[in-house]
Amino acid sequence: MPDTITPGEKKLRVVGTRPVRPDGVPKVTGLARFGADYSLPGMLWGKILRSPHAHARIRSIDTSQALALPGVKAVMTAADLPEQKFEYVGPERTAANFWHMTRGIMAREKVLFEGHAVAAVAAISKMVADEALRLIKVDYEVLPHVIDVEQAMQPDAPLLFEDMITRGVEPAPDKPSNISKRIEFKIGDIEAGFAAADKIVENTYRTKPVHQGYIEPQACLARFDADGQAELWASSQGHFVIRALTSRLVGMEVGNLRVYPAEIGGGFGGKNVPYVEPVALVLSRKSGHPVKIVLSRDEVFRACGPAAGSVMTVKIGITKDGKIVAADGVFTFQAGAFPTSPVMNACMCGFTPYDIANVRSVGYDVVSNRPKTAAYRAPGSPISAYAVESTMDMAAASIGMDPLQFRLKNVAKPGTQTVWGPKHTHEGFAETIRALMQNPAYSTPLGKNQGRGVAVGYWFNNGGESSANVHVNEDGTVLVATGSSDLSGTRASMALMAAETLGIDYDKVRAIVADTGSIGFCGISAGSRTTFATGIAVVQACRKVIDELRARAAMIWDAKVEDVVWEDGCAKRAGKGPGEVETLPIKAIAAKRTVTGGPISAEVSVNAGGVAPGFAAEFCDVEVDPETGAVKVLRFVAAQDVGRAIHPALVEGQIQGGVAQGIGWALNEEYIYDDAGRLANPGFLDYRIPVASDLPKIEAVLVEVPNPNHPFGAKGVGEANIVPSLAAVSNAVSRAIGRRMTELPMSPPKVLRALDPQRGS
Amino acid sequence: MSEAPARVVFTSDFSDRYTGGVKEFEIEAKNLRGVIKALDELCPGLGEHLEEETTVAIDGEVQDVGYYQAIRPGCEIFFIPKIEGG
Repeated sequence: MPDTITPGEKKLRVVGTRPVRPDGVPKVTGLARFGADYSLPGMLWGKILRSPHAHARIRSIDTSQALALPGVKAVMTAADLPEQKFEYVGPERTAANFWHMTRGIMAREKVLFEGHAVAAVAAISKMVADEALRLIKVDYEVLPHVIDVEQAMQPDAPLLFEDMITRGVEPAPDKPSNISKRIEFKIGDIEAGFAAADKIVENTYRTKPVHQGYIEPQACLARFDADGQAELWASSQGHFVIRALTSRLVGMEVGNLRVYPAEIGGGFGGKNVPYVEPVALVLSRKSGHPVKIVLSRDEVFRACGPAAGSVMTVKIGITKDGKIVAADGVFTFQAGAFPTSPVMNACMCGFTPYDIANVRSVGYDVVSNRPKTAAYRAPGSPISAYAVESTMDMAAASIGMDPLQFRLKNVAKPGTQTVWGPKHTHEGFAETIRALMQNPAYSTPLGKNQGRGVAVGYWFNNGGESSANVHVNEDGTVLVATGSSDLSGTRASMALMAAETLGIDYDKVRAIVADTGSIGFCGISAGSRTTFATGIAVVQACRKVIDELRARAAMIWDAKVEDVVWEDGCAKRAGKGPGEVETLPIKAIAAKRTVTGGPISAEVSVNAGGVAPGFAAEFCDVEVDPETGAVKVLRFVAAQDVGRAIHPALVEGQIQGGVAQGIGWALNEEYIYDDAGRLANPGFLDYRIPVASDLPKIEAVLVEVPNPNHPFGAKGVGEANIVPSLAAVSNAVSRAIGRRMTELPMSPPKVLRALDPQRGS
Repeated sequence: MSEAPARVVFTSDFSDRYTGGVKEFEIEAKNLRGVIKALDELCPGLGEHLEEETTVAIDGEVQDVGYYQAIRPGCEIFFIPKIEGG
């Protein structure tokens, strides 16, 4: 690990070490409890009936036979969920429309994709529930459907919403379409910029929707009591947000719903929103029993949002010495059956690594008959980075410049204006590119049919609302409770930061994730925010506890609190003799807690700002088999500015995980639909995520340029790493075969087609 | 003595929706509460949208929108779409 502690800075004791994570043993012994592992007496099984059609009007639903089946305790349809007002609310980037959201939970007037939930049952066994689903009669009027994003934009395309007028266009169109929204960001004068360019490169790219690939399907257990109080055990990326959305969709007050966080078996953005929780709660309310729902892998693929697919055109103008003078991108994203893809992120992130005076980013959000897209690791940014970084590679090659040198020459720095307005304020981009350039593997020679590709990528990172409670136990050990779901080992990070602040050993701190009834509000674990924002809350709570420990020590010593300092886990004051120091360790103060004022604890809630962005630079070497078109990734080196690695092993794991997902996105993964709009590969046998044997050793290079706004310098680390990966692989394949690849995934038939159109057809 | 006002900037999308296309304002205020209040007086209803839908970059430093954020005379304030991730 690079030692970036600045001169004069106190050497850290435990931050930066690699202890065993607190959730490690239960996970490897099978004792950790995930969403499907919770049960209650009298529990029923919930099952969901799903549409066999990609697009159809629902004429009627007859549930009478299902309800009459012995063992069936409740049946629900969309009529059991309150209607929601049609309005976009919340952040522009991810504006929620509960009118859409309730129809996503359960179809009303129409089914909009194959797998769309239509009805649900609760029964005494899974077998009875399955039988009951077969007895529900749905009368459909099948409608023409559209899957592909470009076809969905055509004037004669089947409309998912007959009244949808494109937002963001002035004057507003007079006809409805599947284009939900147009957005644009612009700085400078792009016409003048391109006019000043010596060379202009332009290309069009396409990507397919890909799934987040979390191993654990959505699962929950709900109990609705007769007094209107309800409890929910669920696996999610944020139980407070699941509580907020579920209570609104079900029509209850937030305070009447308590959500307990289960361990989460992967999320990557796909578990930011509810799918099964409102259904289980309604079935529990109707049946008077606890209800458990566990989705199958098939249901996860068919109904739980993938990342968006896209078509994008990027144009870049450069001078002959390699300075970028203008950039223009049009990013069209497939949102799935309901509006709001992450196209705004794509527009904001794509060119942000660079110092370019004249930039325009235009985005289109388009609906089609697929499941609604969900966030996926730096949502939107890897997709636009694929197009931008591919075009950057072409630009560098056009003037014979090393592709990393080209990026370094144009990299953004503090003071550079982003296309979305503000100027950059944090260092780290250039340092990360230099770290990659200095990696010895970057200069190793390549063999026949091999290519090396580079790319960089930007992600905002995030802060926001978090709460933490720190309690000194009776024996001097410490409990740290937060409301942040632990996706990536953040309990270990919280414990490390608490131990560092308190001056005690890591193994004296136990970090837990508390439920919505036991801790203040915490935002979702997304946007690479948890170690930054919740970490600030933990450190501030520890500091309050230290103040209290000093006060208790002063009481024990009959001293003034100003004369007591806290060092190395002990209260200290000057002794009677010269140079003597009296100490009271935390354990001794805890033992006297009763007579000095009772329990010693502090809770802090923050709205953390001062976020520093994430930046990654990566290169990979690939070899292409000219006979089969198969691509083997030989080497992957990923450098990322992590601010400060609180737990370096977990940070390296995040980088390796992001890159592995990026390789799958680049080479193999895609949703395949048949002519009827039905998904043909809803399982891991046919939807091929990379396995260990597909991957090389992924070398993670931790670049530490501390964020001055975090007590230990942390920046977010979970997302920036996937941003360049797609483009790095594509650039490597393109260089290996000597032809520009413009479509993902680069499966063997596509590579063969690029090599020889006759063979790949 | 009057101090230099802060320069407040919106994205094109946001200004099209809420300020009649005006992208830049000059506002005198000591904190973000004052900025939001002044903007809400200029464009009634704007304050609620700013509080619910945006993040703010004050001299480039990204913060959640909070009344308590101090405003330096002459600083740049960009209201940008609130950020959420995966």
